[in-house]
This record gives sequence, C-alpha cells and structure tokens, in this order.
Amino acid sequence: MNGTVKATGSMGRERRQAYMLVAPAVLVLLGVALYPILAAVWLSLHRLILVFGEQRWLGLENYGFMLGDARFWNALKNTAYFTLVAVTVELLLAVPLALLLNTAFPGRGLLRASVLVPWAIPTVVSAKLWAWLFNPDYGLINRLLPGQDINWLGVPGYALHAAILVDVWKTTPFMALLILAGLQGISEDIYKAARVDGASRWRSFLSITLPLLKPAILLALLFRTLDAFRVFDAIFVLTEGGPANTTETLSIYAYKTLMRAGNFGYGSMLSVMTFLCVVGLSLVYIRLLGKEGRG
Amino acid sequence: MKRPGLWLATVAFLTFFLGPFFWQVLTSVWPDGQLTQPLPTSLTFDNYASVLWGRPFLQVLVNSLVAASLTTIFCMAVGASAAFALAKLEFRGRGLLLAAALAVSMFPPIATVSPLYLILRATGLRDTLVGLVPPYATFALPLTLWILTSFFRQLPDELYRAARVDGCTPLGAFWRVLLPLATPGLATTAILVFIFAWNEFLYALTFLSSPEKRTVPVAISLFASEHKEPWGEIAAASVIATLPLVVMTVLFQRRIVSGLTAGAVKE
Amino acid sequence: MRRPLISVLVLGLVLWTLPGCRRKKEEATAAGGKTPLVFKYQPLGDPVAFRELLADFERKNPDVVLTTEALPNSSDVAHQFFLTSLEGGADDFDVLVVDVVWVPEFARAGWIADISGAFPPEVLRRDFLSGPVEAVVVRDEKDQKDKTYAVPWYVDVGVLFYRTDLVPRAPRTYAELEQFARDARAKQPLLQGYVWQGRQYEGLNCNVFEAIWGHGGRVLDDKGRLELDTEPARAGLAYLRGLIASGISPPGVTSAAEEEARRVFQAGQAVFMRNWPYAWEEAQKPDSPIRGKVGITPLPTVSGEPGWGTLGGWQLAVNAHVSPKRKEAAERLIAHLTSPEANVMMALSYGRNPPRPSVYKDPRLVERVPFIASLLGMVENARPRPVTPYYNLLSDVLQSEFSAAIAGIRPPEQALKQAQRQVDHLTGQFE
Repeated sequence: MNGTVKATGSMGRERRQAYMLVAPAVLVLLGVALYPILAAVWLSLHRLILVFGEQRWLGLENYGFMLGDARFWNALKNTAYFTLVAVTVELLLAVPLALLLNTAFPGRGLLRASVLVPWAIPTVVSAKLWAWLFNPDYGLINRLLPGQDINWLGVPGYALHAAILVDVWKTTPFMALLILAGLQGISEDIYKAARVDGASRWRSFLSITLPLLKPAILLALLFRTLDAFRVFDAIFVLTEGGPANTTETLSIYAYKTLMRAGNFGYGSMLSVMTFLCVVGLSLVYIRLLGKEGRG
Repeated sequence: MKRPGLWLATVAFLTFFLGPFFWQVLTSVWPDGQLTQPLPTSLTFDNYASVLWGRPFLQVLVNSLVAASLTTIFCMAVGASAAFALAKLEFRGRGLLLAAALAVSMFPPIATVSPLYLILRATGLRDTLVGLVPPYATFALPLTLWILTSFFRQLPDELYRAARVDGCTPLGAFWRVLLPLATPGLATTAILVFIFAWNEFLYALTFLSSPEKRTVPVAISLFASEHKEPWGEIAAASVIATLPLVVMTVLFQRRIVSGLTAGAVKE
Repeated sequence: MRRPLISVLVLGLVLWTLPGCRRKKEEATAAGGKTPLVFKYQPLGDPVAFRELLADFERKNPDVVLTTEALPNSSDVAHQFFLTSLEGGADDFDVLVVDVVWVPEFARAGWIADISGAFPPEVLRRDFLSGPVEAVVVRDEKDQKDKTYAVPWYVDVGVLFYRTDLVPRAPRTYAELEQFARDARAKQPLLQGYVWQGRQYEGLNCNVFEAIWGHGGRVLDDKGRLELDTEPARAGLAYLRGLIASGISPPGVTSAAEEEARRVFQAGQAVFMRNWPYAWEEAQKPDSPIRGKVGITPLPTVSGEPGWGTLGGWQLAVNAHVSPKRKEAAERLIAHLTSPEANVMMALSYGRNPPRPSVYKDPRLVERVPFIASLLGMVENARPRPVTPYYNLLSDVLQSEFSAAIAGIRPPEQALKQAQRQVDHLTGQFE
C-alpha cells in the first residue's frame, strides 16, 4: 500500500532534499527542547534545594528514594486512573462525534462551529468555570441534581471523577477533530461499493470505517494519553491535589516539589520519571501505529 | 429513520459542550451580588465595559494574536515540509526523528521553565513575543509533524511518482501536488496549534514582563485582587477571548471537512 | 497557493522585528544618565491612586526612571515566577513584592538583598507592628546579627465575622461560638453555623494554626523547630474536624477557600465566618444582603482571651542581583512606598491595612475608613506562621496532613504524628 517512495536514479538528490526539509525542525527541537531536558536530567542526579544554593551529586539516590516514596506511588496511581478513565470516555464520545460531524444534516454547521469551544477556552478559566459549577452550595450541578448536595471537590471519591469530567469536556473535541481528519481520508467510493454489495450502515462502519480509521484513532489516543498523563491545570484549580493528596497527580507533585519547596533535585527527578512513563506509553502506541503504517 | 437519532445526538453533544460555555456567558452578565441565587434577576454589561475599556484588553488580544499566528505559521512552514520528507522520502533516521520529536514534546513544562529562561535571556529574546515561538514549537511542532506525516502517508504514492515523472523535484512535487491535497490536515493542525499557543500560560507569564506584551491568559490571571476574584469580569474576558478562536475555527473547519475529492485519488 | 503564503511569511518577518526593536529602544532611553528602576508588584485595584503615588516618587527623585510590571495576585504563581527568574540570576527588576512567609527563604537563597543600612532593624521595630517585623528581620547565623531583608507594605490578619442580627454578642470562647451557632440554627434551620477555609492549600494551614494557638499551643518550640505532636495541636485539629462532624460547619468547607466561604456568608446563609478583613468591604456593598448586619472580632479561644489571627500581607524587597546604584535607588522607592503617607493612601484607596501602628490613629483613616482603624487591636495580635527558610517546604507536608484530618480520612493524632515525622525527616536532611 502506501509506503515511502523509492527514488530511482536520483536517490542522492532526494536524500539531500529530505535532510534539507527536516533540518529546520531538527534544529528547533534540538536547540530549544534538548537543553532543558538534559538540564532536568542532570539536576535529577543531584541534591539541589534552592534555599541552600548548594548542589550535591547524588547519582541515582533520588530515584532510589522515589521507590520508597509513598507519595510518589499515590500520585502515579491517581495519574494512571485518571488517564485510563478519561481517555476511554473521550474515545467513546469522540468517535460518534466525528462521525456526526462527517454526516451531512442541517444541524451540522452549528455543531461544527461550536464543538471546539471547550478546547478554545483557556484551561484555567474553564477549570474555574467548572469549579463554580461544582460548588456544593451554589453550583448548577447540585442545583440540578435531586437529593442531598454532594461535596464534589472535598470528598476523595468524587473529586477525581469531577476532574475527569472536566477533562472529558475540554478535550473530546480535540480527539474528535483528529478522528474527523482521518475520516476525510476515506474515499466515498469504498462506501458506495459496500452499499452496492448490500452492506448495512452498521456493517460498513465496523468493517470499513473502523479499520481505516485505526491510524487516526491511534494518533488521537497517543496524543491524548500523553496529555492526560501530564494533566495539571484542571486538577490544580479544582482541588490543588486535595483533599489529602487524593487527587494529586505526578505533575502536581512535581510542581509542588519544584516551585513551592524549591527542591529542584527531587522535582527534576519526578519530571524525568513522568517523562519516562510517558515515553513508555508512547512506545506502545508507536508500535501499534507502526504496524498500521506498514499495513 | 436515522434522522431522529442524529438530532438527538446533536442536541446531546451541543448541550454538553456548549452548556457550560453558555453558563459562562450568563455569568459574564450576572451581577456579582446575585451570584449565589439560582438565576440572575437583572443583567449587567458592566463587566464587558470594564474589561474592554478599564483594562487594555484589546492590546492583549493583539498580542495573543501575534504570538499564536507566528507560532502557527512557523510550525506549518517547518512542519509541513519536514512531514512530507518523513512520509514520502527515504532517508535514515526517519523513525528516530518522529519518536524523538514526540518524546521532546512530552517533557513536563514546569521542569523546563528555568533552563528556557536562561536560554531566552542569553539570546536576548526574553520579553519579546517572537521569543515565545521556540518554546511553543517544542509542543506544537511534534504535534504538527505527527498529524501531517500521518496525513501525507495516506496520500497515494502514485501522485508523488507521477509528479516526479513529470519533471518535478521532490520539493516541487511537494509544493504543487501534495500540499494542496493536504489541506484538511493543515487546517486541523493550524487550528490546534493556534489554540494551544493562544491559551498557553506558563511560558507567557515567565518570559514576558512588559505590560504591553501581555497575552490573554496572563491578563486574565491579573484580574484577581489579593483575595477577591471578580468572577463576572473573568467570565466576560474569557468570552471575548474565545470569539476570535471560534471565528478561526469556523473558517478553518470548512477546509477540514471539504476533504479529498474522489477525482484526485482515482488518478 | 504560493502568493498568500509568501505574503504571510513577510508579514511574519515584519512582526518579528517589531517587538525586538521596541525593547532595545527602551534600554537606550534608560541609559540616558538616569537610573532605571523596575518594580514588580501585584495589582491593587483601580490604578489611578497608585500611579499618583509612583509619579510622586519620580517627582521627588528626578534621577530615577520608574517602570512597573504586574504579577498575578496568586501567591503560588508569584512564588514560582520569582523562583524561576531569581534562580536564573534575573536582574531586570529591582523591587519586588514578597509574601510574608517567603522572606527567610529568599534571604537564605541569596535572592533578596540585605537592606539593614537603609532600614535598620531597631527602626523597624520602633515604627512597625511586631508581627511583620518578626517576619522580615532575619538573624544571620554567621555573625549573629539581625538583618533586615524586606520592609512591610501591608498586613492582613485572620478574624471572625459574625451576624449581629443572629447572635447576642461576639463569642469569646469556642463553646460560645458553637452555642450561638446552634441557637441561631434552631431558629433558622437552613443556616450554616460556621464557614472557614478547609481546602488543601495554604489557607488551611492558617486556619489550623489559629485553632492550635486558640487551644493554648505554640507551633514552634523553644529551639525554633516545628512541634506538632502536642496536646493543643491535637485539640485544635480535633476541634476543626468536630465542627464538620457535628454539622456546625457544612461538609463543603473541605473544598472552600476564601471566596467560597465569603459567598456563603455574604448571601446571608452563615452565622460565623473566618476570613481576612477584605470580606468586610464586600459585605457592606450596596447590594449585599447582610449590609449593616456584620460584626468583626478576634477569633475565639478556649480560655476566652482574644485569639491570634494568622499574619498575612506583603512586603517589599530588593533584588540581590542588581548593581549598588540601583539598589540605593530601590531603597529610596521602598522608603517612599512604606512611608506613613503611603500607608494612609493604601488604606484609603485600596483598603490595605497599614503595618505602622501610628497610622491607625490618623484622623483620615478614622474618619473615612473607620473599619480599618478599628482593626488595630487585632492586627497587633496577629501571629506569623513559623518564620523559617524552610516554611514553603514544610507547608506542603502540613497541608496534606491537615487536610486528611479535616476531611476525616485520618484521625488528628495520626495526622499530626505523620506530619511531625515528615517534617523531621525533611529538616533533618538540612542540619
């Protein structure tokens, strides 16, 4: 199917042009992104608490401490749960939404224009908006729900799910957009042929759309999983990681360690750990995506 | 028979996505003293007046526009050409570049603020809107690369080969044949990058200091006084700030959904 | 396809040069013989009065060119900004606002300058309230001398608000508070008894410290180390948890910060509220349901003597990385901004409580903002949180353990033991 094009005869020229085309991207990423990452990794091998101003080499001691750090494992658990639930719900909502956006019907224009609004509102503002909606005394949610008022953000069980709802609201459009772009790549002819063969809509969805959408879905899942794993703003505004660190994610733990305690050594280590987890996740996706690309 | 299902789904999605936004719009005209009531008994436009005329919000919108546009243009230019090479040309290190680009964008930003501050200071780009583009690119460029590479991969090789046979250089084939066909991918990426840059807070706060260079998220964060948060003004500002994004989305959405014509694929 | 793209790129190039050019121009004018001063501050409100104060400084100091740069009012965001820039050796701002708990930390890290020359500790002790002075004067371990690292700009104190129409008088003990709350709720069952800040954040620490102090305890022992596993601490934390368990405080308190509590009180739906004095002005607004029905009093205690509110507020410091010439000009700016006249202006225009006790008796204050004038007793009784360079480090641990106790996740004794253990572990690493 589609792979790379083997240039015959002008291979050298192609290769040179290829390098020329990717050079700017590589330069930017190397220049701006690599130094901070290396700096963070370097710091993670030291003990540096800003209040002291002295830097002491620790080797992997920070990492060793982390293994016994209950707060780290708690944060990892919260992060994993948040990511799993949020991304699953978003996927289940994004695929029907993308299909809807792809179908021609009178309401489509309005839906298309409005579906990115949650994504467009600044994260901190939308988190504050939801915090007000979740307010136990005056929030719209408690007003609409019958029965006793729920203390959404103050009870451990509810708080994390409230944050998940906010994330789903905000980022489902992003996923839907990526999947929609993938839907555009599927030619109408295939559907026509299937219909000629007598396939029902549901059947053609399962056996045509879904398999052809797989790259787009995997791409959307990839970016969303990696983003969800690093979630910060929504939860920080809603609960600041509370109550009692029950909604603290890795990013919040890293933020507090870096920016409140000034513990740059341990905080950098936490960032590197988050990064490594995220890299691990992406390797899984890339493997799946790679199979698709070669299929 | 399908129609009622479509309508139901549309209404459900619209309610879910727009509902909170409408609540935000309502809050922006809701008098502060009545916020604890279920619904306002009167409306006020004071919040909009104070945001637009009491604070230099128009300047702030322009700043955000500049920063987001520069980032988008830069990522489109650099990303599209690199994505084409990654998808269609063969050279060593392709997979590595994509993987590295992804990895680099996934590093928690809070840990990169200090080193980036030093870099920007050293290059004199601190407190300039242009100086925001490289840090933003570390997130936006990988996204661009991945989306566009996947998009270009889906375009059939015959198109590229045909263009080369016709005498185009690889770059020419890219410019004239493949790029126009990638409009949905470009439009998608442009929207996402623009919105991301528009709403970015951490770098804009740390690297910009002059009042006249403030961007939207930073400006909104300055509304709050020591303990009190003027909720109505914040709502009004966010509504105003969302409008350009909605306009941009509407304009670009047409491009996304227009899609490939069957004719081009058949060739 | 090509032409629009090129024109867009050209436009981009033009825009690119514009911001860069502007910045260099500013540097050129500043170098015209005058000393440039940059003041990093947080917005106070309507800028007119503040700009006049700054213009007044420029008139009296014609050799200085003053620019201001605003930071968000969020303490977290400001702290994170200063950490990043000062650690990076930033010298592009001279005077900065510092939260009351940061001074020892910034001093120890070498980010703010020793300004004892311009503001000797003895002078500060003579002219300012003792609480803020304790927070800004740091004892240098090496030469055992007290040094000034910041000057108090305005102060805040935790106080108790009560509804004058619902309770007979201001409660003096915890028992009275609970009794008054119960009586009021018996008449109007929909009322909340007592709202305060129980969310996991710095404000929770303030509430808990106040409860500990109110039960006769001290948070620091004689050697200046944090001592949490004490009887008063257990009693104070149990008291706060008990408020929620007994229903006097609504469960929503565990997610409430200042504004959430204020909204409940201001809607007329609570009998008591613990908050900062800013809530008074809001309560007296024309459309407030409780206008004219609010009283303010020191926090209650076990014994009945006036309680100690947590000291809040902001101070002014000088960036340690700036040249001596700019430092001298910066000290002049700080002197101007913290002068008695400036204190009066801040109180009149922005409702900021002065750190100078003498200003409270100024006839202008007494006449136009009598509420602030009446705060003198409470402000004098304000207690700072533990004054240590490690406060922010420890605060995090305290927040989560206190939150666990308040939310009923762990019993107070266990929470305090765990907090003490973690604090000892952290501080033990440093000694």
